[in-house]
Amino acid sequence: MTPAIEVHNASLAFQLTRDRVGTLKEFAIQTVKRKVKKEQLWAVRDVSFTVAPGEVLGVIGPNGAGKSTLMKMVARVLPPTRGRVVVRGVVAPMIELGAGFNPEMTAYENLILYGTLLGRTPGQMQERAAAICDWADLNDFIDVPTRSYSSGMLARLGFSVATDINPEVLVVDEVLSVGDAAFQEKSKQRMMEMIGQGAAVLFVSHDLETVKALSDRALWLDHGTVQGVGAPSDVVSAYQSTFAGQQDEQLDQ
Amino acid sequence: MTSTFVYDSDQARRPLVSELRNLWNYRGLLRLLVTRDLTVRYKRSTLGVWWTLLNPLLFMVVLWMVFGQIFRFDTPGNTPYIVYLLSGIVYITFFSQGLIATGSSIVNSSSILTKVFVPPEVFAISSSVAALVNFAISLLPLIAVQLITGVGVPWTMLLVPIPALCMLMLVAGLGLLVASAAVFFYDVLDLAAVGVLILTYLTPTFYPISIVPEQFLWVVEANPLYSFLLVFRGFVYEGAFAPGWAFAVMIGTAIGFLLLGAWVFARSWKSLVVLI
Repeated sequence: MTPAIEVHNASLAFQLTRDRVGTLKEFAIQTVKRKVKKEQLWAVRDVSFTVAPGEVLGVIGPNGAGKSTLMKMVARVLPPTRGRVVVRGVVAPMIELGAGFNPEMTAYENLILYGTLLGRTPGQMQERAAAICDWADLNDFIDVPTRSYSSGMLARLGFSVATDINPEVLVVDEVLSVGDAAFQEKSKQRMMEMIGQGAAVLFVSHDLETVKALSDRALWLDHGTVQGVGAPSDVVSAYQSTFAGQQDEQLDQ
Repeated sequence: MTSTFVYDSDQARRPLVSELRNLWNYRGLLRLLVTRDLTVRYKRSTLGVWWTLLNPLLFMVVLWMVFGQIFRFDTPGNTPYIVYLLSGIVYITFFSQGLIATGSSIVNSSSILTKVFVPPEVFAISSSVAALVNFAISLLPLIAVQLITGVGVPWTMLLVPIPALCMLMLVAGLGLLVASAAVFFYDVLDLAAVGVLILTYLTPTFYPISIVPEQFLWVVEANPLYSFLLVFRGFVYEGAFAPGWAFAVMIGTAIGFLLLGAWVFARSWKSLVVLI
């Protein structure tokens, strides 16, 4: 079967922020002083993997390992500096849900705009608006500007819009931890439904139990490189053992 | 599984072709962004969108008092100074507003562009189109002033879409250049604002070309905006066609900058996106 997600030796470099010359004026001064440094940070280095339709790949690793950057590369936001990324199918990116909500606009207007940003048409969104609000339990607040929304309400609205299609590829970056317990359960169920319908899922989580329970395979990322891929329980315990080892070292010192 | 949607990072962007296709595929978003641009700006004001009509009129009144009453400029032909003035303001505001809005569009929408995949040119072009809509609305007070002063509205008014589209192309192309540069160096936007100011003062908007000393005439004539304005004024109230060279300069500048802007933007996007 053709994989839904293919990542071949992909790398991505960021220009380091602290050395970045932000203005022309600074650039001129630094050039005169011969101080322009071009330093790059490789957030993701030489990563390769595939995800088949209906398969769930969980990504684990410490903060700053490059997990979010990898998600953004698959979600098409960041093109790889080297290597290649191929994604087949309609993608539902769930990275910082509700990016682009304008606080001055009402929930209804934001919902239409957000869905359109995700590639749907305003007409489709108008038809689905009622169902989307219904699922997010926000029917009473549909004509309220989102500046008076709580972060949990915003996340619910964002999740509801992002998953209101039958996506063939789901890219989920740590969004299952938003909202209250009831909503977490509801959103987990919705994800399971989509997996059942054959969606390929790439998801990041710090909750290792969820990774073991949900994924078919796990990928452990550290310093931008793959430390291990395989059965979730094996990868998770390998990750936990180095983590424990580091803690022991710290205790010894 | 076969799907019509395939993303391959190796697929190179083809300048202009990719952009036009993206704009067509995302035309719904384009429309939403233009309406948002036009309405959110005035959301908390009582007059709302009426400001679009009032702004050029207020600006006109100030300049008319200074240059029409105090300096007493003579305008070419027997056109009332106020018509000469307002036509210039309306058209040049399209240029300056559109260029600054398009130039800052990418930096301003960075929070969206780093989280959701949207072709960035949709954001840039929506700012240019919003400026076009503003321009179209501000033609209404211009027409009103022409009727009141007895200048009337010639049939060539129907040809105004030609200089309007050319200006849209210039604003979009030049705006894409500024937008790319602004991601690398933020102060490019401040520089662009100064540049726009200088360029508009070098265009005979509120002064007649006849007051320019002969040895400096080439400076004004070398400014492509002068040609744009000649064509526009010809259509709007003179009821005449500007000389052929003005048309040539206008169309050439518009197409040239659009191609250049689209090409530079498409080429530099990969290095831009990791910076915003």
